[in-house]
Amino acid sequence: MRAPSATTKLGLACAIAASAGLLSGCMGAMPTPMAALNRQLAMAGTNRGPSLSGRWLAVITGRGGRDQVLLLDVARNAPVPVPGLNRGDAKPISVGVDTSGERLALVRQLEGRTELVLYRRSLMSLQPIPMQPAGVPSLVTMRADGKELAVQVSRDGLWQIDLISLP
Amino acid sequence: MGLFGRRSVGPLGPLGAEDRQDPAISGNGRFLASVLEQGGKAMVVLQEQPGGQTVALRHLRGHEPHSSPSLSWNGRYVAALVQQGPERVAILEDRATGKLLRLPLPNGSQPARLSLAPDGQRIAIEVIEGGQSRVQLFDLTGQLEPDLPGGLAVQGGPSVP
Repeated sequence: MRAPSATTKLGLACAIAASAGLLSGCMGAMPTPMAALNRQLAMAGTNRGPSLSGRWLAVITGRGGRDQVLLLDVARNAPVPVPGLNRGDAKPISVGVDTSGERLALVRQLEGRTELVLYRRSLMSLQPIPMQPAGVPSLVTMRADGKELAVQVSRDGLWQIDLISLP
Repeated sequence: MGLFGRRSVGPLGPLGAEDRQDPAISGNGRFLASVLEQGGKAMVVLQEQPGGQTVALRHLRGHEPHSSPSLSWNGRYVAALVQQGPERVAILEDRATGKLLRLPLPNGSQPARLSLAPDGQRIAIEVIEGGQSRVQLFDLTGQLEPDLPGGLAVQGGPSVP
């Protein structure tokens, strides 16, 4: 009879750990921090709400009391301009980016309202996406191909999820 | 309807009136993960799309509350934040192999949100340190097979009652 392979032993260890209700690390070494990019993020101030897709990372950064969306090219370790996306009088709440870095979806507060907008980087355009039925968006994620959004919406006292396809 | 098409996530309960938060769609649009309040517990639920049939996850049960699920391109990898004793922990389940990856963070860091790259080769984790939030990126190359468009299709598996 053949001895169990390393993979089989690992799978068995995982199964035992799982059945015992443990979340022990079952797969190899620790993930490697991407030090250069993490330094770049630290220099930008505080940052939150990451959206990672392809070579693009969108985050909301805060510095000097002002929040804005920062788009980073992970492959080049450099920020990318997003003209027209950030406004001094708007507060970004949640952001999502597609894998081409062309489309960003943003939930923001502006003039006392919370709204969902779609930004197209090549056109530098912002397009509002109405909530139907009416509701208040609070979190958005974008499908990697940029064709659909999943939006967390407060409506009638419940948190709901809207799936919105994009033209 | 206007410019933007809209569709329902699909049913869990008979009326579909549950509190659902933290949505994440797989790159191919076949799976939606969200956090559902069930019996006082916040649990990640994975649903096939369209239709909303619930798909079982192996490693998350018993580690509520869950938050911030994130999916790879074909829904092979499900990353989320879960509770282990007093700690919030970032984990990643490989639905193709059933394996689990725990993502260790520096001491004193509390994970708040995460985002897994669609190919599963990087993950961004928002951590809280000293009351300040910051995002850190981790390279998963060499630990996970890439989950690319047209890659390994992971079937839905058994539905959860």
